[in-house]
Amino acid sequence: MPEGNGMHTEQLHIGYRSDLIRDICLSVKSGEIVTLIGPNGCGKTTLLKTLTGELKSRGGVIFLNGQDRSALSASEIAKHVSLVMTHKIRPELMTCREVVEIGRYPYTGRLGILSDTDHIKVTEAMRWTDTEELAGAQFDQISDGQKQRVLLARAICQEPEILILDEPTSYLDIRYQIELLKRIEALAKEKRMAVLMSVHELSIARRIADTVVALGEGKVLKIGPPSEVFAESFIRRLYHIENTDLSLLGEEPWNPAEASTHTFRSRGKAKAIMIQGTMSNAGKSVIAAGLCRIFSDMGYKVAPFKSQNMALNSYVTAEGLEMGRAQVMQAECARTKPMAAMNPILLKPTSDKRSQVIVNGTVVANRKAAEYYQEKQQYIPDILHAYDQLSEAFDIIVIEGAGSPVEMNLKENDIVNMGLAEMVDAPVLLVGNIDPGGVFAQLIGTLDLLTDEERTRVCGLIVNKFRGDLSLFADGIKILEERGRTKVVGVVPYLNVKLDDEDSLSDRLNNTGKNAGDAIDIAVIRLKHISNFTDFDTFDQTSGVRVRYVEDASELGDPDLIILPGSKNTIDDLQALKDNGLADALIRCAKEDHCIIGICGGYQMLGERIADPDGVESGGSIRGLGLLPVETVLAKEKSNANVTREITHATGILSGLTGCEVSGYEIHMGKTKPIGAVTEFTSDGSGYCMGNVYGTYLHGFFDSKEILCTVLQSIAAANGKTVDPANVTDYAAYKDRQYDLLAAALKEHLDMDLICKIMGLNNDKG
Amino acid sequence: MRRKRYGIYLAAVTLLILAFFWISLILGSSDVTGGEVFKILSGDQSDQLHVNIILQIRLPRTLAAILLGGALSLAGYLLQTFFANPIVGPYVLGISSSAKLTVALAMIFFLSKGREIGLGMMVISAFVGAITAMLFVLALSVKVRSMSVLVVCGIMIGYICSAITDFVVTFADDSNIVNLHNWSMGSLSGINWDEIRSIAIIVAVSLCLTLLILKPMSAYRLGEAYAKSVGVNIPLLRILLILISSLLAACVTAFAGPISFVGIAVPHLVRSCLKTDEAHVMIPACFLGGALITTLCDVIARTVFAPTEVSISSVTAVLLVPVVIIMMLQRNRGKA
Repeated sequence: MPEGNGMHTEQLHIGYRSDLIRDICLSVKSGEIVTLIGPNGCGKTTLLKTLTGELKSRGGVIFLNGQDRSALSASEIAKHVSLVMTHKIRPELMTCREVVEIGRYPYTGRLGILSDTDHIKVTEAMRWTDTEELAGAQFDQISDGQKQRVLLARAICQEPEILILDEPTSYLDIRYQIELLKRIEALAKEKRMAVLMSVHELSIARRIADTVVALGEGKVLKIGPPSEVFAESFIRRLYHIENTDLSLLGEEPWNPAEASTHTFRSRGKAKAIMIQGTMSNAGKSVIAAGLCRIFSDMGYKVAPFKSQNMALNSYVTAEGLEMGRAQVMQAECARTKPMAAMNPILLKPTSDKRSQVIVNGTVVANRKAAEYYQEKQQYIPDILHAYDQLSEAFDIIVIEGAGSPVEMNLKENDIVNMGLAEMVDAPVLLVGNIDPGGVFAQLIGTLDLLTDEERTRVCGLIVNKFRGDLSLFADGIKILEERGRTKVVGVVPYLNVKLDDEDSLSDRLNNTGKNAGDAIDIAVIRLKHISNFTDFDTFDQTSGVRVRYVEDASELGDPDLIILPGSKNTIDDLQALKDNGLADALIRCAKEDHCIIGICGGYQMLGERIADPDGVESGGSIRGLGLLPVETVLAKEKSNANVTREITHATGILSGLTGCEVSGYEIHMGKTKPIGAVTEFTSDGSGYCMGNVYGTYLHGFFDSKEILCTVLQSIAAANGKTVDPANVTDYAAYKDRQYDLLAAALKEHLDMDLICKIMGLNNDKG
Repeated sequence: MRRKRYGIYLAAVTLLILAFFWISLILGSSDVTGGEVFKILSGDQSDQLHVNIILQIRLPRTLAAILLGGALSLAGYLLQTFFANPIVGPYVLGISSSAKLTVALAMIFFLSKGREIGLGMMVISAFVGAITAMLFVLALSVKVRSMSVLVVCGIMIGYICSAITDFVVTFADDSNIVNLHNWSMGSLSGINWDEIRSIAIIVAVSLCLTLLILKPMSAYRLGEAYAKSVGVNIPLLRILLILISSLLAACVTAFAGPISFVGIAVPHLVRSCLKTDEAHVMIPACFLGGALITTLCDVIARTVFAPTEVSISSVTAVLLVPVVIIMMLQRNRGKA
């Protein structure tokens, strides 16, 4: 057979009455097999028909062996190209040999009489396709497999350089398929023909092809080697089977093990991994925190990152910048100093509809939710700047998403979940919470709602908060991996570690139960806009201490210590206390010499009056509880500081505190001044006390071991209870222990090797 | 093996044609013996009456049966190839009836002017009718892909044309009305030597044209796509197929009126005998087969109810409709 350089097209437009596909540029070189794939109706047959000349092209040029097809005569074309079509032909009373002889048409004379050479070629072609014994059989009486071979023989004895086949393996059983395919392969490899074939069976198209052309969505979607084209996401997109379970088909048609071959480059120098959750409270922050500690243990410099936090609970860095508590906790896990860059955007709700917008630590605006949603894209440079800063300074960045990545109505212009993952090109682990049930729906539902590109980003699933026997979930893992087509990197049990919680969704706030037994009873007033409630987490480490969150006067009971926490909206919350009777109950308790401590907003409430002349909150002024002779004027200016102060003088039960050092941070709006005889509690006028009522602006007041022990021992003594201070430690040390516990648990239950591989880490440090 | 079969077939059919040719010359309302016929054919003119009967009536009629029968069968074969369907023929597709209608109209037109219609005019009008019906059927075949629907449409066209022809004939006020009637039923009687010459020319031309499309026709059997892929000029082939089959059908209709079922049944019989559909073989075989069947039918038409003559279409229908029915049954079985 003559060796040619095959066929190629330039800007070919195809279609019947209108253009179906435009600008097709493909080439089939001699010795090469090109397969054409695409869904039904995508134009495969139209393209083949156009290439064979059955259909007129609507523009562009087809080159056969470098010659413009339209410049060639019909019989010259026939000597270049021959075809095997799918549609069944039923020639009556035609023997197979006669069918094959038609292939000699371009070479015979006017009357179509075959010469001896022609007869030899026909016999050769039939021998080559193993159809010699069929020569005398009627074509319409042989099997489909034999028919295809006869038609192939016909095409071969036409002696073309280019062979076009339209779904040649349709209707064939497995044996005939393989026989036919072997011959087609041999045609390309031995006879150096250029072979172009359309194929429905994708596994065939993948294996036999040198090059694959995928048609879909009205265009040539992809041309490339099978290893490129047969990516699962692409094939699913091509055939619109994004969410279809293909298990009935047995072997999946795409290249195996795609997930492990896909690499994410990660922006900047640091490697990144992103933890996204199926819902709020899925446990993202905790998993991210644990990973921070694990990577830190491995010797990496790790930074947590969350582009946008919505929380009442904020923290002030050494630089006086405000950031979310969750990243502070994660930074502590990572054994690094919290930086505002770890949480470039912080939203602090001030009412149901409005939030303070804090960018890289400083307040830039107060926005309605809708307004923020509109303008959030403008913060992308800030986010990326913050990320790049971290990427320069750290080896690994553990990114935490927010809420669910598939809040479909808000997904556009996303900057916290998949939007961010794409910006920094990070692989994603998706965390589902099995505790409330529905973990399959959470994980697979979330995956299915993602777009293809987003879906390829999800490299692993984590089932979190599992209670009970992990081995019972083996089937569940199988189902998740099959249906979700994503590896499950771990099932994490419900962990009983005490960490700073992210926001007011936290479970502990729901602890309203009455005090039981002789434990020290601490009642924290549950304000509607409670902020910085982590101030009280430190009590958790002490056995024999019970912290309750009280919303109603009837729940207050007879506590040993009452704490009024900080608030994002002091005036509103104070009004609410007055309305629900808690205010009166508090005043009664104070008269009964109960110990009451107000922190920040709670401190302001204890005073005589709070005025808001500038309308920082809701404006106007309100009478306080009148338990301390101080007065607060709210001001726009915020004082943020990471400060250390001294307890100048403590009155009443807590007198033992006098002289203690206290470090913490202050976030407040306004100034509080004494208006009567009152003792300075914390230095620099940051707090006052009178009798058993204490107020201070210092968050983290209870964090040091010294203060915690003194407070607990004092109130225990005052109420005739005992507390064992032996197990009380500095809150920092306590937390560190908790982080280690968390890391150990995650290390046990997560496939860290796989996670490292996903991140592209060389696990040499582990 | 195959060639032998073809040879036997051709020899047998030729012999049978000669036999019926002989019988056709002998049989008739006036008794002429075989010996006399032989003498007359070899130039003996002693019995002028018998000479006239043989040379002016029976010989042209038999030759017409051979030529027209062959033409009809060939037209049927070409149409079957064209539509890739063996259940079509000039009669079934309404081509014959349409040609008949235009010829009748032309005749009446000329008769009303007080003139005989010339041979040329006859052929031309028949050709116009045949082509018109053909184009109509073609237009339909583009719209309806189902062959059975196409055949039903063809039969309907045939009925409409026949009805109009009957209508026209009924209201034609001339003594030729009887002739017209006879002709419109289909008859080979009254064919003269001039007409034989015209028939011979038309058939010869058609056969020559068929030679041109012999090669593409065999490729065409694999379907349009394959035919095109080996370099067949499909439009040209289609035009030639239509032209030749229309010309042949028109010729038959012009001179003998519509003769039913020869065009559809004979190619099938030939195929069944030869077990092939190869154009090179089928074209001569069909021509001879058609000649044989038509001669046979004409003999029967003349003799069974002698001296009354039945229309040749009645005979062909009785003989060939069972063939068509069996063929359709076989095809259905083949599909199932």
